[in-house]
Amino acid sequence: MSDLAVLQAVRLKGRVSRTDLAVTLGEDPNELAVVVDRLVASGLVLDSNVLRVSHDGRAHLDELLTEERRHVDVAVLSAAYADFRAVNTEFKALVTDWQLADGRPNTHEDAEYDALVVARLDDVHRRVTPIVDAAADQLPRLSRYSAKLQAALDKVHAGETMWLSRTLIDSYHTVWFELHEELILAAGLTREAEAKAGHAP
Amino acid sequence: MMRRNGLPVPPAFCVTTEVGARYRAQPGATLDAIWVDVLDAMRTLEAATSRTFGRGPHPLLISVRSGAAVSMPGMMDTLLDLGITDAVEEALAVEATADFARDTRRRFTDCYQRIVGGPAPDDPYLQLRAAIEAVFASWDSPRAVAYRSHQGLDDRGGTAVVVQAMVFGNITSNSGAGVVFSRNPMTGANEEFGEWLPGGQGDDVVSGTVDVEPIAALRLRQPAVYDELIGAARSLERLAADVQEIEFTIEDGTLWLLQTRAAKRSAQAAVRLALQLRDDGLIDEAETLRRVAPAHVEALLQPSLQPELRLAAELLATGVPAGPGVASGRAYTEVDAAIEAADRGEDVILVRHHTSPDDIHGMLIARGIVTETGGATSHAAVVSRELGRAAVVGCGGGVTTSLAGKLVTVDGNEGEVRDGSLRLSAWSEDNTPELRELADIARRVSPLRAHTGGDYPRLDRHSEAAVRTAMASGHSDVVSASPLLAMLAAIRLSDVR
Repeated sequence: MSDLAVLQAVRLKGRVSRTDLAVTLGEDPNELAVVVDRLVASGLVLDSNVLRVSHDGRAHLDELLTEERRHVDVAVLSAAYADFRAVNTEFKALVTDWQLADGRPNTHEDAEYDALVVARLDDVHRRVTPIVDAAADQLPRLSRYSAKLQAALDKVHAGETMWLSRTLIDSYHTVWFELHEELILAAGLTREAEAKAGHAP
Repeated sequence: MMRRNGLPVPPAFCVTTEVGARYRAQPGATLDAIWVDVLDAMRTLEAATSRTFGRGPHPLLISVRSGAAVSMPGMMDTLLDLGITDAVEEALAVEATADFARDTRRRFTDCYQRIVGGPAPDDPYLQLRAAIEAVFASWDSPRAVAYRSHQGLDDRGGTAVVVQAMVFGNITSNSGAGVVFSRNPMTGANEEFGEWLPGGQGDDVVSGTVDVEPIAALRLRQPAVYDELIGAARSLERLAADVQEIEFTIEDGTLWLLQTRAAKRSAQAAVRLALQLRDDGLIDEAETLRRVAPAHVEALLQPSLQPELRLAAELLATGVPAGPGVASGRAYTEVDAAIEAADRGEDVILVRHHTSPDDIHGMLIARGIVTETGGATSHAAVVSRELGRAAVVGCGGGVTTSLAGKLVTVDGNEGEVRDGSLRLSAWSEDNTPELRELADIARRVSPLRAHTGGDYPRLDRHSEAAVRTAMASGHSDVVSASPLLAMLAAIRLSDVR
C-alpha cells in the first residue's frame, strides 16, 4: 500500500488506532505496521496511543495528492463530483430523516418509517456506485470507498442500523463524508470554496 | 373581527368558501358567474380608498389571499401588489418615488411568477382573475393536502379568497411593518413585545432575512402610532380573551392592522399568561386550566434555559438549530486546541467555518458545535445529532473570529449563541409559585383533587389511564407525586365527556 493511501486515511480520521486504520484500509495489520512505523520514524505521522498526521506529514500528503492528480483527467473527476453533489443532497436529507421524524429525534419505533428511509438509501447507493466507479477509474485508490459503502449497506440490511449514520465507525455516513472530501480534492476544489458556492458540505 | 370593532384594517372583500367549493367542480363557469360581483366589489374598494385599479394618478394595488376557515400556516398562496402595469408603475413613481415603484413592480413580478407561473399579463383584471384561481387551486396543492391529512382536518371545505387594498411600509421614511404581541410570548411578562422594520414591507419581516428593530424603537420614532398600536393590541386581546400576535403596517404615519391570531408561546409563558388573564378577569378558572397543556408542565419540570435568562444575555450569533439541547463552554476554533482544553477539564464549544471528516474528534469532546456555513442536513448537523451535541449551523461569515475565546452558550433549540455560561434550571410543582397557584385553582375546579400528601388513595402515575381509573372508581381525592399533572389530565377527561 502507498504512503499516500495511509497518510490520507489517517488524515481523514483525524486520530485513529492502528487496528481501526487497518480495517478502514482493508489491509493486513502486520503489513500495515511496517508502513506506519516508517511514517512515524520519518516524523510524518505522530504516534501517541492514536495515530495522527504531523504538520510535515500534512505538507507531504498535499504534495502526494497534487502528484496523484497530475495523471488524471480532471474533466472526468469534475463530472463525477457534479453527479455526486446531486445524490449528496438526497443522501443528507435521508440521513436527517433517519435521525429526526417530524422534527423530533427518531425513536425507531415505527418500522415502516425506517424501512422507507432505508429504501431511499438503496436508491442512493444505486446512484452513487457508478459515480465512485468513474472516479476510481482515474484514481484507483478510491475504489475502496465502493467496498466500504457496500459493507455498511449490507450491515444496515442485516438489521445493524447503527451502520447508517453512527460516527467513529465506517458507517455509510462516515464513508460518504470522507468520499465527499476526496471528490472535492480530486476535482481540484476546496471545501471553503464549495461552501461559498452554496454546495455546503 | 378587527373591522367590526373599529380598528384600522385596509378595506377588503371576500369571495366565499361556497364559491371556492363550486370552483373545485367547475372552475371556469364558477368564475364567469361571479365576475360581475367581483367587479362591483372592486368599485367599492376603489371608492373606499379613493384610488383606481389599473390606472393613475392614484393607483390601487391589492393583495389576494386565502381565507380558509381553519388556519393552515404557510400552506396557502398569497399574492401581493396586484394591479401593477407599465402605466401604474409610472403613476406610482410620480406619486411616491421611482425606487418605490420599481421595487413594488419587482416584488409583484417575483410573487406572480412563483405562484401563478408564467409572466404577469399587463391587464390588471386578468391578473386578478389568475390570482383568485391560484388561491382557490392552492387548497388542492400537495403540501396543503398533506398538511390537512397530517392534522386530521376536513379536506372538502375549500377556501375563501380575501381581496384587500395593499398598504405599504416601504413608501416613506415614516413607514414600516412589523409584528407585535400584546404580552411577551417567551417570558410571559405583561409587557408589549415585538419587532418592526422601519421602511420595510410585511413579507420582509416574516422572511427573517433582514435585521429588524425591537418594538420599543417605534415608541421613540413615532410615539402616537405606537400608542395606537398598543391600544389596538390590548383591545384585540380583550376581545379574544387571549394574548394576540398582530401583523401591522405603518403607511406614511398611518397605522394599519393586517392580521391577528392567538400568539404562539413558550411553556413558561403559557402558564404565566393563563394566570394573568385570569387575574385580569378575561378568563375563568376552568378556562385558565385549559390554557395550560400537560405537555407544557412536563416541559417545565425538565431542566431548560429559562427564557428570561436567555433574553437577558447578549445575542452573539444566530443560525439554523441543528442539534437539540443547550450547552455552555469556551469557544475554540481549532480542533487540536479544543481537544487540549477538554483534556484540561474545560467545557468546550467547537466553532468552525464548516466541519471536515477529521473534525470528528473535536466534535466528540465539545459540548456544543457552531458553524459558519451549512444547513439542517449538513454533515456538521448530522454528526452533531449523532453525538447528541447542541448545534447551531450556518451562522454566517466571521462567527469563528467573533466567538473565539469567549465563554458562550449554544442553544440548539432556538438556533442561538449567547454570551456567557447560562445555567439551566427546572420548575417544580412544590416550589414554583406559578405551578402552586395553578394547582390551587385545579383543586377548586378539577373533578379529581390531587394532593401531595394526606389520607387518600395513592395515584402511582399521573398517566391519563391512571387518572381515568381513579375517577371511574369514584375517588374525588388522591395523593400524587405530581398533583397538577394528574388534575390537568382529569379536567381534560371531564371536558371530553
